[in-house]
Amino acid sequence: MIPAGAEISSAMGSVEVHTTSQRGASPEEVAQRCVDKIVSVSDSANPLIQQQARAFKENIHKVVEFYVRQGIEGYKTDLYNEALKAGDDSLAKIIRRL
Amino acid sequence: MAFSGNFMCTSFKKELMEAVHNFKNSGGNTFRIALYTNSSSFTAATTAYTSSNEVSGTNYTAKGNSLTRVDPTTSSTTAYTDFADSTWSSSTITARGALVYNDSASGDPTVCVLDFGSDKSSSSGDFTVVFPTASSSAAIIRIA
Repeated sequence: MIPAGAEISSAMGSVEVHTTSQRGASPEEVAQRCVDKIVSVSDSANPLIQQQARAFKENIHKVVEFYVRQGIEGYKTDLYNEALKAGDDSLAKIIRRL
Repeated sequence: MAFSGNFMCTSFKKELMEAVHNFKNSGGNTFRIALYTNSSSFTAATTAYTSSNEVSGTNYTAKGNSLTRVDPTTSSTTAYTDFADSTWSSSTITARGALVYNDSASGDPTVCVLDFGSDKSSSSGDFTVVFPTASSSAAIIRIA
Protein backbone atom coordinates (compact mmCIF):
# COMPACT_ATOMS: atom_id res chain seq x y z
CA MET A 1 0.00 0.00 0.00
CA ILE A 2 1.28 3.45 -0.87
CA PRO A 3 1.50 5.61 2.27
CA ALA A 4 -0.52 8.80 2.34
CA GLY A 5 1.54 11.76 1.18
CA ALA A 6 3.93 9.64 -0.89
CA GLU A 7 4.78 11.44 -4.08
CA ILE A 8 6.90 11.22 -7.15
CA SER A 9 9.46 13.95 -7.51
CA SER A 10 11.90 14.90 -10.22
CA ALA A 11 15.33 16.38 -9.73
CA MET A 12 18.06 17.75 -11.90
CA GLY A 13 21.81 17.47 -11.54
CA SER A 14 24.10 20.37 -12.32
CA VAL A 15 26.73 20.67 -15.01
CA GLU A 16 30.17 22.23 -15.01
CA VAL A 17 31.83 24.02 -17.91
CA HIS A 18 35.54 23.62 -18.57
CA THR A 19 37.18 25.83 -21.17
CA THR A 20 40.68 26.32 -22.50
CA SER A 21 42.44 29.09 -24.37
CA GLN A 22 44.92 28.51 -27.22
CA ARG A 23 45.22 24.81 -26.29
CA GLY A 24 43.23 21.63 -25.86
CA ALA A 25 42.42 19.95 -22.56
CA SER A 26 45.54 18.42 -21.01
CA PRO A 27 45.84 14.71 -20.13
CA GLU A 28 45.74 15.72 -16.44
CA GLU A 29 42.47 17.60 -16.91
CA VAL A 30 40.86 14.78 -18.90
CA ALA A 31 42.04 12.21 -16.34
CA GLN A 32 40.57 14.29 -13.51
CA ARG A 33 37.17 14.46 -15.25
CA CYS A 34 37.28 10.73 -15.84
CA VAL A 35 38.20 9.89 -12.25
CA ASP A 36 35.54 12.24 -10.88
CA LYS A 37 32.97 10.15 -12.77
CA ILE A 38 34.38 6.85 -11.53
CA VAL A 39 35.01 7.62 -7.85
CA SER A 40 33.10 9.95 -5.56
CA VAL A 41 33.82 10.32 -1.87
CA SER A 42 30.97 11.12 0.47
CA ASP A 43 31.66 13.82 3.06
CA SER A 44 29.50 11.87 5.49
CA ALA A 45 31.50 8.64 5.17
CA ASN A 46 33.71 7.37 7.97
CA PRO A 47 36.99 9.39 7.88
CA LEU A 48 39.05 6.23 7.43
CA ILE A 49 36.92 5.16 4.48
CA GLN A 50 37.22 8.69 3.03
CA GLN A 51 41.01 8.47 3.35
CA GLN A 52 41.10 5.09 1.61
CA ALA A 53 38.77 6.27 -1.13
CA ARG A 54 40.87 9.38 -1.78
CA ALA A 55 44.04 7.29 -1.98
CA PHE A 56 42.30 4.94 -4.41
CA LYS A 57 41.12 7.90 -6.48
CA GLU A 58 44.65 9.27 -6.64
CA ASN A 59 45.98 5.95 -7.91
CA ILE A 60 43.22 5.64 -10.49
CA HIS A 61 44.03 9.19 -11.64
CA LYS A 62 47.65 8.21 -12.33
CA VAL A 63 46.60 5.12 -14.29
CA VAL A 64 44.00 6.99 -16.37
CA GLU A 65 46.39 9.86 -17.09
CA PHE A 66 49.07 7.43 -18.25
CA TYR A 67 46.70 5.75 -20.71
CA VAL A 68 45.32 9.08 -21.94
CA ARG A 69 48.92 10.00 -22.79
CA GLN A 70 49.43 6.62 -24.50
CA GLY A 71 46.32 7.25 -26.61
CA ILE A 72 47.63 10.68 -27.61
CA GLU A 73 51.02 9.22 -28.59
CA GLY A 74 49.29 6.61 -30.75
CA TYR A 75 47.16 9.27 -32.44
CA LYS A 76 50.21 11.47 -33.01
CA THR A 77 51.92 8.56 -34.77
CA ASP A 78 48.89 8.16 -37.02
CA LEU A 79 48.88 11.89 -37.84
CA TYR A 80 52.65 11.85 -38.41
CA ASN A 81 52.31 9.03 -40.93
CA GLU A 82 49.38 10.70 -42.67
CA ALA A 83 51.39 13.91 -43.04
CA LEU A 84 54.36 11.97 -44.43
CA LYS A 85 52.10 10.12 -46.89
CA ALA A 86 50.72 13.49 -48.01
CA GLY A 87 54.31 14.65 -48.63
CA ASP A 88 54.25 17.29 -45.88
CA ASP A 89 57.46 16.51 -44.02
CA SER A 90 57.51 19.80 -42.13
CA LEU A 91 53.99 19.22 -40.75
CA ALA A 92 55.03 15.67 -39.80
CA LYS A 93 57.95 17.09 -37.82
CA ILE A 94 55.69 19.59 -36.04
CA ILE A 95 53.29 16.80 -35.06
CA ARG A 96 56.12 14.65 -33.75
CA ARG A 97 57.40 17.50 -31.60
CA LEU A 98 54.00 18.20 -30.00
CA MET B 1 16.56 39.09 -20.07
CA ALA B 2 19.06 36.64 -18.64
CA PHE B 3 19.50 33.10 -17.47
CA SER B 4 17.94 32.63 -14.04
CA GLY B 5 18.83 29.10 -12.98
CA ASN B 6 18.60 25.44 -13.97
CA PHE B 7 15.18 24.10 -14.86
CA MET B 8 13.68 20.79 -15.85
CA CYS B 9 11.09 22.00 -18.35
CA THR B 10 7.48 21.54 -17.29
CA SER B 11 6.47 20.52 -20.81
CA PHE B 12 9.13 17.78 -20.62
CA LYS B 13 7.50 16.30 -17.50
CA LYS B 14 4.19 16.13 -19.33
CA GLU B 15 5.83 14.68 -22.43
CA LEU B 16 7.38 11.91 -20.33
CA MET B 17 3.84 10.76 -19.62
CA GLU B 18 3.04 10.94 -23.30
CA ALA B 19 6.03 8.77 -24.33
CA VAL B 20 7.56 11.58 -26.40
CA HIS B 21 11.11 10.97 -25.14
CA ASN B 22 13.23 7.84 -25.28
CA PHE B 23 16.60 8.01 -23.50
CA LYS B 24 17.60 4.39 -24.09
CA ASN B 25 21.17 3.92 -25.18
CA SER B 26 20.12 1.60 -27.98
CA GLY B 27 17.42 2.93 -30.26
CA GLY B 28 16.69 6.05 -28.21
CA ASN B 29 16.06 9.56 -29.54
CA THR B 30 18.75 12.04 -30.55
CA PHE B 31 19.22 14.66 -27.86
CA ARG B 32 21.27 17.77 -28.50
CA ILE B 33 22.77 20.58 -26.44
CA ALA B 34 22.71 24.13 -27.82
CA LEU B 35 24.57 27.07 -26.28
CA TYR B 36 23.13 30.55 -25.66
CA THR B 37 24.16 34.05 -24.70
CA ASN B 38 22.87 35.76 -21.59
CA SER B 39 20.31 37.61 -23.70
CA SER B 40 18.20 34.45 -23.42
CA SER B 41 15.47 34.20 -20.82
CA PHE B 42 14.74 30.50 -20.48
CA THR B 43 12.67 29.16 -17.59
CA ALA B 44 10.75 26.00 -16.72
CA ALA B 45 8.14 27.27 -19.17
CA THR B 46 10.53 26.93 -22.12
CA THR B 47 9.09 24.31 -24.46
CA ALA B 48 11.29 24.03 -27.56
CA TYR B 49 14.68 24.70 -29.10
CA THR B 50 15.08 28.17 -30.58
CA SER B 51 17.85 29.74 -32.64
CA SER B 52 17.17 33.09 -30.97
CA ASN B 53 20.22 34.20 -28.94
CA GLU B 54 22.06 30.97 -29.77
CA VAL B 55 25.81 31.58 -29.71
CA SER B 56 27.86 31.88 -32.84
CA GLY B 57 31.58 31.33 -33.00
CA THR B 58 34.40 29.36 -34.55
CA ASN B 59 33.53 25.65 -34.77
CA TYR B 60 30.07 26.09 -33.31
CA THR B 61 27.18 25.19 -35.58
CA ALA B 62 23.55 26.05 -34.99
CA LYS B 63 21.57 23.45 -33.00
CA GLY B 64 24.72 22.51 -31.06
CA ASN B 65 26.20 19.09 -30.35
CA SER B 66 24.53 15.71 -30.41
CA LEU B 67 24.68 14.09 -26.95
CA THR B 68 25.73 10.55 -26.07
CA ARG B 69 22.99 9.00 -23.94
CA VAL B 70 23.62 7.03 -20.76
CA ASP B 71 21.13 4.17 -20.49
CA PRO B 72 18.37 4.90 -17.94
CA THR B 73 18.69 2.82 -14.81
CA THR B 74 17.51 2.68 -11.21
CA SER B 75 18.99 2.67 -7.74
CA SER B 76 16.66 1.96 -4.85
CA THR B 77 13.50 3.93 -5.71
CA THR B 78 15.19 6.47 -8.01
CA ALA B 79 15.29 6.22 -11.80
CA TYR B 80 17.85 8.31 -13.62
CA THR B 81 19.56 8.99 -16.90
CA ASP B 82 22.51 11.10 -17.97
CA PHE B 83 24.67 12.19 -20.89
CA ALA B 84 28.38 11.99 -21.66
CA ASP B 85 30.36 15.24 -21.56
CA SER B 86 30.10 17.33 -24.71
CA THR B 87 33.04 19.24 -26.24
CA TRP B 88 33.35 21.87 -28.95
CA SER B 89 37.02 21.52 -29.80
CA SER B 90 39.22 24.18 -31.43
CA SER B 91 36.42 26.60 -30.72
CA THR B 92 36.07 30.26 -29.90
CA ILE B 93 32.77 30.56 -28.05
CA THR B 94 31.24 32.58 -25.23
CA ALA B 95 28.09 31.12 -23.68
CA ARG B 96 26.10 31.70 -20.52
CA GLY B 97 23.87 28.63 -20.64
CA ALA B 98 22.38 25.83 -22.69
CA LEU B 99 19.26 23.99 -23.71
CA VAL B 100 19.07 20.21 -23.91
CA TYR B 101 16.37 19.18 -26.36
CA ASN B 102 15.05 16.21 -28.28
CA ASP B 103 16.03 16.54 -31.92
CA SER B 104 14.08 13.41 -32.91
CA ALA B 105 10.73 14.56 -31.60
CA SER B 106 8.45 16.86 -33.53
CA GLY B 107 9.10 20.54 -32.72
CA ASP B 108 12.44 19.90 -30.96
CA PRO B 109 10.93 19.85 -27.44
CA THR B 110 13.22 20.88 -24.57
CA VAL B 111 14.34 18.69 -21.71
CA CYS B 112 16.09 21.18 -19.46
CA VAL B 113 17.65 24.60 -19.16
CA LEU B 114 21.24 24.80 -17.93
CA ASP B 115 22.57 28.00 -16.39
CA PHE B 116 26.39 28.14 -16.29
CA GLY B 117 26.29 30.86 -13.62
CA SER B 118 28.49 33.22 -15.63
CA ASP B 119 29.75 33.63 -19.16
CA LYS B 120 32.14 30.82 -20.11
CA SER B 121 34.57 31.30 -22.98
CA SER B 122 36.92 29.22 -25.07
CA SER B 123 39.48 30.81 -27.36
CA SER B 124 40.96 28.50 -30.00
CA GLY B 125 40.45 25.84 -27.36
CA ASP B 126 37.98 23.35 -25.91
CA PHE B 127 34.55 24.27 -24.60
CA THR B 128 33.33 21.30 -22.57
CA VAL B 129 30.03 20.86 -20.76
CA VAL B 130 30.72 18.29 -18.04
CA PHE B 131 27.58 16.38 -17.09
CA PRO B 132 27.28 15.03 -13.54
CA THR B 133 28.05 11.48 -12.52
CA ALA B 134 25.32 9.05 -13.54
CA SER B 135 24.08 8.21 -10.06
CA SER B 136 20.83 8.37 -8.14
CA SER B 137 22.05 11.43 -6.25
CA ALA B 138 23.72 13.41 -9.05
CA ALA B 139 22.50 12.45 -12.54
CA ILE B 140 21.17 15.17 -14.77
CA ILE B 141 17.60 13.75 -14.81
CA ARG B 142 16.22 11.88 -11.83
CA ILE B 143 12.76 10.67 -10.84
CA ALA B 144 12.28 9.46 -7.29
